[in-house]
Amino acid sequence: MLDRELKKGSAELLILSLVETRARHGYEISKMIEVRSGGTLKFNVASLYPLLYRLEKRGWIEGHWLEKVGQKRRRCYKLTKEGRKILKAQRTTWQSFVAAINQITGLDNA
Amino acid sequence: MPDWKAEIRVLLAGLRLAPTRENTIVEELAQHLDELYDELMSNGKPPREAQQQTLAELSDGEWLPRELQRIERQPKPEPLVLGTTGRSNMIADLWQDLRFGARMLRKQPGFTLIAVLTLALGIGANTAIFSLANALLLRSLPVPQPEQLVTIGRGEGLGEPLSYPDFAALRERNEVLSGLAASHFAGVSFGNGSRSEMLRGELVSSDYFDVLGVRPLLGRGFAPEEERSPQTVVILSHALWQSRFSSDTSIVGKTITLHRQAYMVIGVAPAGFNGMTEMFRTDLWLPLRMLPQAHPMFRDSLANRHDQIFAAIGRLKSEVSLTQAQTALEAINRQLELAEPPPAARQRDPNEDRSLKLDHPQGVNLPHFRRRIQMATALLFVVVGIVLLIACANVANLLLARSTVRRKEIAVRLALGASRWRLLRQLLTESALLGLLGAGAGLLLALWLNRVLMMLKPPLPESWGLRLDLQLDANVLGFTLLLALAVSLLFGLLPALAASKPDVVQALKDETGVQGRRGFFRRFHLRNVLVVGQLAVSLVLLITAGLFIRSLQQMQRVDPGFQTENRLALSFNLEQEGYDESRGREFSRQLLERARALPGVQAAELTNFLPLGFMALAEPITFEGRPTPPASELTYAASQIVGAEYFRTLGTPLVRGRAFTPQDTANAPAVAIINETLARRFYPNVDPLGQRVRIGNPASNPPPREIIGIVKDTAIRSIGEEPALVTYRPLAQQPSSFQTLVVHAAGNPKALLPALRREVQMLDENLPVQEIKTVEEIVAFSFWPMRMGAGLVGAFGLLGLLLASVGLYGVMSYAVAARTREIGVRMALGADAKDVLALIVKHGLTLSLLGVSLGVLLALAATRLLQRLLFGIVASDPVTFISVALLLTIIALVACWIPARRATKVDPMIALRHD
Repeated sequence: MLDRELKKGSAELLILSLVETRARHGYEISKMIEVRSGGTLKFNVASLYPLLYRLEKRGWIEGHWLEKVGQKRRRCYKLTKEGRKILKAQRTTWQSFVAAINQITGLDNA
Repeated sequence: MPDWKAEIRVLLAGLRLAPTRENTIVEELAQHLDELYDELMSNGKPPREAQQQTLAELSDGEWLPRELQRIERQPKPEPLVLGTTGRSNMIADLWQDLRFGARMLRKQPGFTLIAVLTLALGIGANTAIFSLANALLLRSLPVPQPEQLVTIGRGEGLGEPLSYPDFAALRERNEVLSGLAASHFAGVSFGNGSRSEMLRGELVSSDYFDVLGVRPLLGRGFAPEEERSPQTVVILSHALWQSRFSSDTSIVGKTITLHRQAYMVIGVAPAGFNGMTEMFRTDLWLPLRMLPQAHPMFRDSLANRHDQIFAAIGRLKSEVSLTQAQTALEAINRQLELAEPPPAARQRDPNEDRSLKLDHPQGVNLPHFRRRIQMATALLFVVVGIVLLIACANVANLLLARSTVRRKEIAVRLALGASRWRLLRQLLTESALLGLLGAGAGLLLALWLNRVLMMLKPPLPESWGLRLDLQLDANVLGFTLLLALAVSLLFGLLPALAASKPDVVQALKDETGVQGRRGFFRRFHLRNVLVVGQLAVSLVLLITAGLFIRSLQQMQRVDPGFQTENRLALSFNLEQEGYDESRGREFSRQLLERARALPGVQAAELTNFLPLGFMALAEPITFEGRPTPPASELTYAASQIVGAEYFRTLGTPLVRGRAFTPQDTANAPAVAIINETLARRFYPNVDPLGQRVRIGNPASNPPPREIIGIVKDTAIRSIGEEPALVTYRPLAQQPSSFQTLVVHAAGNPKALLPALRREVQMLDENLPVQEIKTVEEIVAFSFWPMRMGAGLVGAFGLLGLLLASVGLYGVMSYAVAARTREIGVRMALGADAKDVLALIVKHGLTLSLLGVSLGVLLALAATRLLQRLLFGIVASDPVTFISVALLLTIIALVACWIPARRATKVDPMIALRHD
């Protein structure tokens, strides 16, 4: 598992990307991160929710209680307009960061 | 499943989060843990292991509380609002209230629609009447700095105030005005041949355009020398320049023909400028020195201090007030009066008020008309004001009904600590929103109503150019906005006060709260009071309308003293067209001959004026053998100068003696005919036939005339007036320059028009016919004010009735809904449909009868003020009162009957389960 601070830096990008296309609840987000990273990345409750609340406070994502018949209500998060801008900016930054690392470490040529 | 919530609460305990926030977090995290636990279990983990693994998600050191503390502690910034410092502020609250109010209105589109439409009817009617008052009484002239302009009136304000010498003296000697201009109306014949027509001109002093501050669009204004000596120059109005000269930009310097003389065009006025008067169209301006040409009867008037024929308008110097100017001008006026007092012959009343009165020109600036317009618009305002009150009562009722539904919401907000003032503000903001929406819709309605009002303007001849231009200008929009806000307070305040003071405990326990009040209180519930009031005032409206309609009926029954069907009248002014006496006589003789020869003409004759037209000549009459009274006590009688066939053509019966004959020529003995009233009043004990009278100013020594006949009384100025004194002289013995040809047709008189016009043109192709009307149209004009009164008050009265019956219907429906359980109990205990019907109808009938009785009392008091406007009936006319009261009661019964019928359909079983 990656170091917690490193994870926090990139975690924002991860969460924003996941709620980009539709609203998702916390459990769903944590599961998707775990599954899509093949188990490399894993967020537990204690680390995931503070992140979600912070992003919500910044106004990048928005949480709503959603009720479905026969189910308990769940709090779902979706990307705000502001969040969409941030996501776009972070993606570009991240891509150039990855490109830079790859160039330096020679991984690109491998 | 294990209780995760307790574990989470332990972790969050130290954070002291707000309870609601803590609950949200606990619920969300617990939800997550639930799902994780379920998943582990379904993967086959034993319960104990699954529980441990799930809890591990939380127990990752102190991470969760520490992170949460960081995030949750960050204070959320207050939204900053310009101009405020405090946390709670009016503007932010107002914005919140507006958004909330808009949401509430959107949630109940049916309620909103009905309330807005009701208000639109009331506000629209008021806006339309205000735009009428604005156009007729308030609007200033469309010239620079109109607030500096003053008009000068004299005494009672009838007629024109100044003679030319007076005007010249005031202009020269005053030190309070930066300029003073004079004007006199003149009908001007324009053009040649078959296209000649009458235009409306103003004869004005040379500084007229300068005083008004208007620069001609083309050319120049008048020069001082054009006031000193006659100059044939003319300035055209913009509309005339466009319509008759196709906006010819090189028009200045060209000549046009006015009353058969060539005039040079020296200028064109800017668009929208209509001269001093707002009421009538002005086509062109001539120098006032051209008065003798334009008005031969005033040929000596410019030199005469006592021919008061000019209106005057001045511009105040910037530091001078209206009162100062009035005092200064009146001082000059007094000097003039002392230097040359009016001769006795000119003085109708020695005590006549001859002081000058200054006023700012607004709307129609003729004081005599203004007073009538003020009265008419005041009456209309009362009428539409009542309609608005009824509309407000309806909306207030709707709000009251809704506030019982919202009682619980309001009780919750009060229980949570909202102040009553805050709630009141919220509710009033909702009312204001409704009021503004109503005003918006009302403006659309007013646009349409204005078009209708403009079509209803008096049927004056086209050549009079009556203007009525109703616009929704800034004045009107401001009025509507203020009205909307005032009205919102009116219909919103009572329901808001009632709603914001519910018994909180009661309201929270009881679903609808309508069961709260019983018996006595319910009967005098605010809603019932409103309905009684609505019915009462709509009765007042309907009775007023009824009185006008009855007056109109009475008026139409009056015999004017002549026949009106199939008769046509054409007028022309021969003197103005340059005819001398003998040419005029020849023209008349030939015209009559030709008219009588036309197929379809039964009779035709000339007269100087026709009764009920817009001009009537009155002259003193003196009786031979009786002393001639002083000038101020002379008897005046309407003076008709007619041809021999006049009485036969118009169908006025001869009562005694003989009519004029072709033998009553200028060389034959002078004769006269009088009407019955004159005969009765001045010859009570003597046979008037054979007696002698003189008609005309005794100072000019008119010839004595023998009375040869007495004719039936005819209306002269208006239908239904006190019979006037009338004398008739033969046209052959007393020439008249102004003539009207009356034709009695066999059928539709309008069919004769083209032929008659052709005959006039064959005699003189340049003679413009001033006015053509059927006698029926002339008489109808006499009915116009009453017809308008009946029509407008009637229409608004019906609108009021409609709104009031909708209000009654609403209240009765509500009462039925509220008493459903009671009705169910009664029916379960054996009451049948008839009893239930009686119960509800009795309630409605009580309200209606209360409303009707109150309305009758109000109407008795109110209509007394109308007595002067009525005709042939007393203001407390029993026919009107009884029939209107009956009508209203029947309509009210129908409005109760429908909900009462519904009540009888109540199924006791369902009713007893009803809340």
